[in-house]
Amino acid sequence: MDTFKAAVILLVEDDPGDQKLIKTSLFNEKIINEVHIANSGEEALKYLQHSKNFDVEAPMPDLILLDLNMPGMGGKEFLRQIKADDEIGTIPVVILTTSESDKDIIESYKLQAAGYIRKPMSLEELQNVMLNLSEFWFVICKRVQPRNKYKHETKRCFVSGC
Amino acid sequence: MNTTKATIVLLVEDDPGDQKLIKNALADQDQDVTNEFHVANSGEEALEYLLRSKIGDEQSPWPNLILLDLNMPGMGGREFLKRMKADDDFRAIPVIVLTVSDSEVDIQECYRLNVAGYVQKLASPEEFQTVVKKLAKYWSANSAAVKC
Repeated sequence: MDTFKAAVILLVEDDPGDQKLIKTSLFNEKIINEVHIANSGEEALKYLQHSKNFDVEAPMPDLILLDLNMPGMGGKEFLRQIKADDEIGTIPVVILTTSESDKDIIESYKLQAAGYIRKPMSLEELQNVMLNLSEFWFVICKRVQPRNKYKHETKRCFVSGC
Repeated sequence: MNTTKATIVLLVEDDPGDQKLIKNALADQDQDVTNEFHVANSGEEALEYLLRSKIGDEQSPWPNLILLDLNMPGMGGREFLKRMKADDDFRAIPVIVLTVSDSEVDIQECYRLNVAGYVQKLASPEEFQTVVKKLAKYWSANSAAVKC
């Protein structure tokens, strides 16, 4: 049943160490994860705006990984804003944070997060977590097809003259 | 570091065969996980369960996760989903829908209603059971959920 899948992930995370760690842990043999990084809620919103405008450099994500504890806009406010948008509100958001607070979890689910992961300490654990995550979201779970995928398919069709 | 997690699952499913299949798949985990589950045979039953849970009924503990079959008679999965998402407390419970449909319209509608996952029931029971096991693996090991 193992098939190769390509998935676009938007990682919203401000800490460069964590960015690297998470990006590395998302690399696996079964699923080709294309990871785009935004350093803040504001940057992520800009990215998604580009996505909406069919910017090739900013493909619409299949999944958003969101760190709650960021300066500036912060994760919760970002989540609130994207869920209010008809188009990008359907992209599943998984919260990735070190916060142990139950209150944060409940609030995130109330804001309609699709999952909440407490960042494990070791790279090995994180790799396991990310493998599980990739498998669930890109093999098992059906999602709305992001718009850019259709665009690429249309292009291919035109080129081969069909 | 594997800590024992107990996930309370509310399974909303009318077909007894599927109920059994899903329960067995969820029960069989290699990690240190105990899944406690409760079954509702319809959307109405599920809502009643949640209402009892809200008032603290011990027999109806608050679920950490809802597995919802969309293809049910009566109220149906979609209506139940709409109603629980309209409630301030219930909407915090993540819902994974299980359905035979792979229609884009259906998938889109469910994500508009903010599901936490959309899983297609596969033709072969064995394949579907494998899928449910992987789903359980992800949820019990990865996704934190709390009792509200």
